[in-house]
Amino acid sequence: MSEFHLTEDQQDCLQELINIAMGQASDQLARYLDTFVYLKVPSIESVDAKDLIQTLSQQQNTMAIVSQGFFGYEGIRGEALLAYQEEDSGRIADLLGYEPDELSQDEQLIDISSILTTTFLNVFARQIDNQMSYNAPKLLPMVQNSLLDHLQQMTFNWDVALKININYQVTDYSFNCNMILLIPETAILNIKKVLDRILADF
Amino acid sequence: MSPSVLICDDSNMARKQVLRSLPEQWKTSVQTASNGAEALSILRDNSVEVLFLDLTMPGIDGIGVLQGIQKLKLNCSVFVISADIQPEMQAKVKALGAKEFMRKPVKADILLNHLQQHGLL
Repeated sequence: MSEFHLTEDQQDCLQELINIAMGQASDQLARYLDTFVYLKVPSIESVDAKDLIQTLSQQQNTMAIVSQGFFGYEGIRGEALLAYQEEDSGRIADLLGYEPDELSQDEQLIDISSILTTTFLNVFARQIDNQMSYNAPKLLPMVQNSLLDHLQQMTFNWDVALKININYQVTDYSFNCNMILLIPETAILNIKKVLDRILADF
Repeated sequence: MSPSVLICDDSNMARKQVLRSLPEQWKTSVQTASNGAEALSILRDNSVEVLFLDLTMPGIDGIGVLQGIQKLKLNCSVFVISADIQPEMQAKVKALGAKEFMRKPVKADILLNHLQQHGLL
């Protein structure tokens, strides 16, 4: 088993921290859109980063992706990707009730992504006595390899990544958003330490 | 007299959080379930008096358990403990018969307070 692999207890603990964070993020989203957000159990897996990025890159021509880097104390960092189906991204303007011309579609996507990402990660950080800082969110151009290029510019080592996938389903508007958190390998080791500290309390 | 208690949550850590928040004398009569289906089979065969129930679970979720309890006309006090704090969800579980909604992570003083309010302590 690789050193980046989570034990069953670590996985359980991380999942519970994520549940609480996604619950509060979806509550924010629900208030923002004045609707209900349907939540599913999040998935957590270690992935080979190259495979993952390739898969995402292949789907990228059908998706709008907003990417935002985050970093906290104790070497906890990563990249949050918010992925929307292309047909949904056009509908977001209606959801938000913006007037045409008020804010471009791109700006709206960035807005909504930033709300989800920062709410989620702030709540996550608070639970582990940490605090996050964020890079400016960036809408990736919908062209082949833009995600690949974007992630390759990161300074971390991406051979193995922890992939956390959270689905926010806005059923009233059949609008779907996937939050994918990528945690690079050194940050995985740091998260494992934090999880062990919490588990020692139980 | 301590009532028979069931804690249903897919997270082991969350189950432990609930367990350690319970009144000391209750801790001897606690069963656990890690999903909705398991909870319903325990509820059906035993006389569970107090259920602490999570909502977001794989398979039969907390809403499914509440519906099952209504269908089976079981007489047990349900306290929902969930991270899904949307007001609409809180109203929904109350409409399905839950006594209270508590947000995760559960706090012992809040839990004990609710048990008292409902005459269970």
